[in-house]
Amino acid sequence: MDDRRRQFEAQALPHLDAAINLARWLTRSNADADDVVQDAMMRAWRAFDGFRGGDIRPWLLAIVRNCWRTSMGDRKRRGHVALPDENTQLTGEELTYSGPSPESSAIRSDEGRKLDLVIAKLPDEFREVLILREMEDLSYREIALVTDVPIGTVMSRLARARAMLREKWMGEVEKEARDAL
Amino acid sequence: MPCERAQTTQAYLDGELDAAAALEHESHIQSCAECTALREEFETVRKLLRDEATYHRADARLRARIRTALDKETKGSNILPFIPRARAVWTGVASGAAASALAASLAFFLLMPAEGDPLISDITDAHLRSIASEHLIDVESTDRHTVKPWLATHADLSPPVADFSKQGFKLIGGRVDFLEGQRAAVTVYRHGAHIVNVFAWADYDEQLPDFATRNGYHIVFWKSGNLTFCAISDTAVDDILILSRLLKGLSQTDARE
Repeated sequence: MDDRRRQFEAQALPHLDAAINLARWLTRSNADADDVVQDAMMRAWRAFDGFRGGDIRPWLLAIVRNCWRTSMGDRKRRGHVALPDENTQLTGEELTYSGPSPESSAIRSDEGRKLDLVIAKLPDEFREVLILREMEDLSYREIALVTDVPIGTVMSRLARARAMLREKWMGEVEKEARDAL
Repeated sequence: MPCERAQTTQAYLDGELDAAAALEHESHIQSCAECTALREEFETVRKLLRDEATYHRADARLRARIRTALDKETKGSNILPFIPRARAVWTGVASGAAASALAASLAFFLLMPAEGDPLISDITDAHLRSIASEHLIDVESTDRHTVKPWLATHADLSPPVADFSKQGFKLIGGRVDFLEGQRAAVTVYRHGAHIVNVFAWADYDEQLPDFATRNGYHIVFWKSGNLTFCAISDTAVDDILILSRLLKGLSQTDARE
């Protein structure tokens, strides 16, 4: 193994969890997420000489996100997937989201599954900022880099995303309470 | 009506304000009903996403897929093209004299023809690295009540930990390591002059042998609950088996608790 490969593996592979987590939440499909991450890691490898130190995670996640957008564009052109947007009323069946990863599936509560679905149904641009901020703990500046928008946009999207998630989750909780009666 | 300082409140909660601005803003929130409600919303959403939503992790199959793809990419440009797979994952902690010793031992491993399970090579490399460098222990303690929670926080895994000094295995600490790029919790024991590293990682139904010997290091594998364990040392294999039996017993006790 040459030095470049060794350095790449040491720096990039520890962030594979972050890459797959983002990809799964973006694609809402395990198989698609795997393809996106593999594509992203290969692009990262080819572009590795251009990476000039600093925190590699935002750099890697930006590549993951770009690969996801490219793959979505391909599908859209081939007419494979109806893309959810803000005006689409999604039902659970329309989502290809395939549930929790194997290691957490053993004792996965109904509650958790419902929450995952509520998050999966958020529009892409709101879902991604939430995942990057709350699950990956990225700063506003890093999220702006990954999503390629100004910091101000990151802030307003985050605010809306939080309000949306809370509202939809509370709706879910209330519905459950009604059903229980 | 939303407060006109709502965006600053969010930035404050996200830790984006400097200390002085944060202090000033905290008193604003306390006197503003809208911002207090915003804080509650923020905390609810944070808890949902951090504690209850699924955090997806890469499985062994994906890791293998990526390594295979990398192998294909590096074919032809590799300095040592006859080596089929990349093994050692450097953690970048070695320095100075330790690094030279490490480089020497690593070169030795790289020149060895690859054989058997790549995981065994990874474990042997990780063990060597831990001994040759100063990165043997991240948390130094003989107290299981220190080591166990530390591993739970840093490796996201909670293997059984105990001090077995009476049986000849003194607990000296724990660390986080990477096996094939995947996080593993390591508990470190001292047995006489020997170091025993006990790796634990989330089980992915790997087919593993019970024992292996590589370059004079004995390796013992076992599974317990949803974790795979591996103890490695240059001490006698019987001694490693004693420790593995003690830990298996502890897993059962932990599970009953």
